[in-house]
Amino acid sequence: MKLFGSALRSSLYQLGMMAIAIGGLPMAALAHGAHIQARTATAMEIQANYDSGEPMAEATVQVFAPDDPQTPVYTGLTDADGKFVFVPTAPGDWEVSVRQAGHGDIAVVPVESEGAIASTFTNDAGLTLLQRGMVAGAVTWGCVGTALYFGQRGKNRAHS
Amino acid sequence: MHIPDGILPAPVCVAGYAIAGGITWVALKRIHKTSDSQVEVPKAALMAAAFFVGSSISLPVPPVSVHLVLNGLLGIVLGWYAWPAILIGLLLQAILLGHGGVTTLGVDAVMMGIPAVLAGQLFQLRHYLGKSLPAKISLGLFSFIAGAFGVGLSAMIFFALVIFAIPSTLDQSTEQTFLKALMVGHIPLIFLEGVFAVLLCFFLLRVKPELLER
Repeated sequence: MKLFGSALRSSLYQLGMMAIAIGGLPMAALAHGAHIQARTATAMEIQANYDSGEPMAEATVQVFAPDDPQTPVYTGLTDADGKFVFVPTAPGDWEVSVRQAGHGDIAVVPVESEGAIASTFTNDAGLTLLQRGMVAGAVTWGCVGTALYFGQRGKNRAHS
Repeated sequence: MHIPDGILPAPVCVAGYAIAGGITWVALKRIHKTSDSQVEVPKAALMAAAFFVGSSISLPVPPVSVHLVLNGLLGIVLGWYAWPAILIGLLLQAILLGHGGVTTLGVDAVMMGIPAVLAGQLFQLRHYLGKSLPAKISLGLFSFIAGAFGVGLSAMIFFALVIFAIPSTLDQSTEQTFLKALMVGHIPLIFLEGVFAVLLCFFLLRVKPELLER
């Protein structure tokens, strides 16, 4: 009897809590109507490519608002062309990270009021094939020069 | 397989630098112990150039593309010298090509340098384990194993690091699908680098066999 009493009391208590919970809910959540409103906003489009030039399709995108660099505001995947669109809601430095299987990049895009990208921002285009070839050539030439220098020194020492 | 800036958490990058610093110390000490530490420098410089350029040569393995690493080869030809050569090659790649990053230089060096040095030791094992085989077969076998081992171990370290570093905020399944594709893409690369090492060793055996003896 005592057991039944305590069970009854606890279920009554639960009922009471539920009533408070329902009473506390905002009215809108109980309504069944829905409205869609539309407004124009300035969005930012990200284009992510591998340095071979091919787009990073279906790469994970994380967008961090200026005031919180820890939790992403938007997360999603790039489309087949490596593109992703989001709306920066506040001015400041927005951080966009795109990554796929251990590869990726982080870009910081300064946003002015109204969601426009600051005019000081320039896109990092990466190296063209020609620049890449020139860098590789210069480094190779430097290494060959080092090799020749030390090779010659070794020979001179052997002679003396 | 260079890990760029911003993928790994900061403690991992710091740990990478710490380990790389320790190994640099050991490697330089080992190099200093040799009778003339400058004799190998020309060879190391040329191999560093090959390593630097190798990362720009990408091989498409649909749906991904992989690039040559050549660290096993460096280990075979250079031994302990492979470590400074890779370190310099990685620094230049990070600064000039944007391959990898400056914060992850330590991690990348550990990822490619340790397998290179180990591959070099593995290649030297042919003097003990390959004795019973004909000289040419032993050379071919051990150069293939060492060349494949270098890039294989690097790939394993890379995937371990990347899987460990996937933040919980990411969509795990898409990330894993691409990781798997990239893993499969490395299998032909491992074979290719093994074959590459065999070809280079046979070439050196013909033109300058003393280069293979350290």
